[in-house]
Amino acid sequence: MNCAEALKWVPAYADGEIDRLRGYLVKRHLAGCADCAAEHDRILALRAQLRAEVPYYGAPPALRARVRETLGVSAGSTKPRPAGARDRWSWLAGGALAGCAATILAWTLGTAVLDWQKNEDIGNEAVALHVRATLANHPIEVASSDQHTVKPWLSARLDYSPPVPDFAKDGFTLLGARLDYLDRTAVATLVYRYRQHTIDVFVRPETKRPAPPALRNVRGFNVAHASGAGMDWLAVSDVSPDVLSEFVQRLARGGASGTDKPQ
Amino acid sequence: MSDNARFAQLVLPHLDAGYNLARWLTRDAHDADDVVQDACVRALKYLDALRGGDGRAWFLTIVRRAFYDWIERNRPAEIVADDGSAIDAAVDTAALTPEQAAIRSAESQLLADAVAELPLPFREVLILRELEELSYKEIARIADIPIGTVMSRLARARGLLQRSPLVRAAGGRTAGEGS
Repeated sequence: MNCAEALKWVPAYADGEIDRLRGYLVKRHLAGCADCAAEHDRILALRAQLRAEVPYYGAPPALRARVRETLGVSAGSTKPRPAGARDRWSWLAGGALAGCAATILAWTLGTAVLDWQKNEDIGNEAVALHVRATLANHPIEVASSDQHTVKPWLSARLDYSPPVPDFAKDGFTLLGARLDYLDRTAVATLVYRYRQHTIDVFVRPETKRPAPPALRNVRGFNVAHASGAGMDWLAVSDVSPDVLSEFVQRLARGGASGTDKPQ
Repeated sequence: MSDNARFAQLVLPHLDAGYNLARWLTRDAHDADDVVQDACVRALKYLDALRGGDGRAWFLTIVRRAFYDWIERNRPAEIVADDGSAIDAAVDTAALTPEQAAIRSAESQLLADAVAELPLPFREVLILRELEELSYKEIARIADIPIGTVMSRLARARGLLQRSPLVRAAGGRTAGEGS
C-alpha cells in the first residue's frame, strides 16, 4: 500500500470503519511511514480535543418537562372537550384502558416466565431497568462519587459485596448506586457517567448459567457483559459499543486487581 | 402499549442527543428548543414507523428534518446549495482572518467556535460522528446521503478544523507542525 492509498483510508481506519484486510494493510503502512502516521495522530488528537473542549448540550430540564407535559395532555385525560354525551362513556374508556393494561401485564409476566431461561432476556430486562430509571429521573439511591461510601451501602442491603471500582481519571465518573431486581434476584446497580452518557452497571455474583453475549444492541442501547472478580458485570448505556465493552472488561479486571474482592 | 408510553420508552431517553444535534445545527438555545419540540410532535405522530430498530438514530433523523424545515422558514440564507462550488464559497466566508482569530482567541471556546463556524453539511456529520459516535452507516441514513459522501464531508470538516485559525490560535495542537 502506497501513501496515496493509505491516506485515503486513514480516516476510516481512525473511525474503526474499515474491513479487516484493509485495516491490516493501513496499520502496516502506518508503522513504516511517519507522514501517514502523523495524519492518523492528527485525527485522533482532534477527536480527543473535540470531546474535551466542545460542549455536549443536554436537553434543558424545562424542555424535558414540557415534552412530558405534552405527552400527558395528548393522552386524552386533560384534553379540553365539550362536556356531554361523550363523557358518559368515559368510564368505558377507562375500563378499556385498565383492561389493556391488565392484558399487557399478563402478557409481560407470561413471556417473562416462558423466557426466563433464555439468557438474552437479561439484556432486555437490563435495558428496561435502565430506561425506567432514566424516565423516573431517580436512577441513584446512594449518590456518591466515593467508592468507600457506595460499597458499604450496597453490602448492607445485599447478600454479597460487589466491588465498586473507580475510573474517574479515565472519564468514567461514579455517580452512585441503586438496587435493582434483575433475573429474579436483587442486584447492585452502579451508575457511572461518561461524557454526557449515563452507564448502568448491574453486578451480581457469577452464576453457572451460560453467559449473555459479550455485546449486543437492544432498542438502540448497547448491552455489554464480562465476568471477573467472581462477579458478572452487565453494562447498559447509549454510549458507543466499543467504549462500553472496553469499560465493562476493565470493570471485571479492575475488581480482580484491586482490594475490592467480595468478602 | 399506548403511543405515549411507547414514545416515553423509545424516544425520551434520546432527548439529550436530539437537543445536542439541534443546538449545534441552530447554534441557539431557544431555536434548538423549538426544533426539538417540533421533532417530538412529529415523532409521536409517526411512531408507527419505528418498528424495533434504533430509537436514537430514528429520533435524530426526525430532529434533523425538523431543523431543515425550520431553517427554511426562518433563515433560508443559511442553506447552502449542496454542490462543491457553493460549499467552497461558504468555507471561504466562514474562514476567519488571523486578525479576527486573534480577537477571538481572547475568548476561551476556540474549538467550539470553529465547529460552530463550519458550514452546515460538514457540521452535522462532524457532530454525529465525534459527539454522538455514530457509525458511517447510521450517519448516512440520518443525513440521507451515501456513505462515500459521509466520508468526504467528515474529511473536509476535519481538514477545516485543523486548518482553522481559531484552532491554530489555541496552540496548534491539532493543526500539526508542518508535514
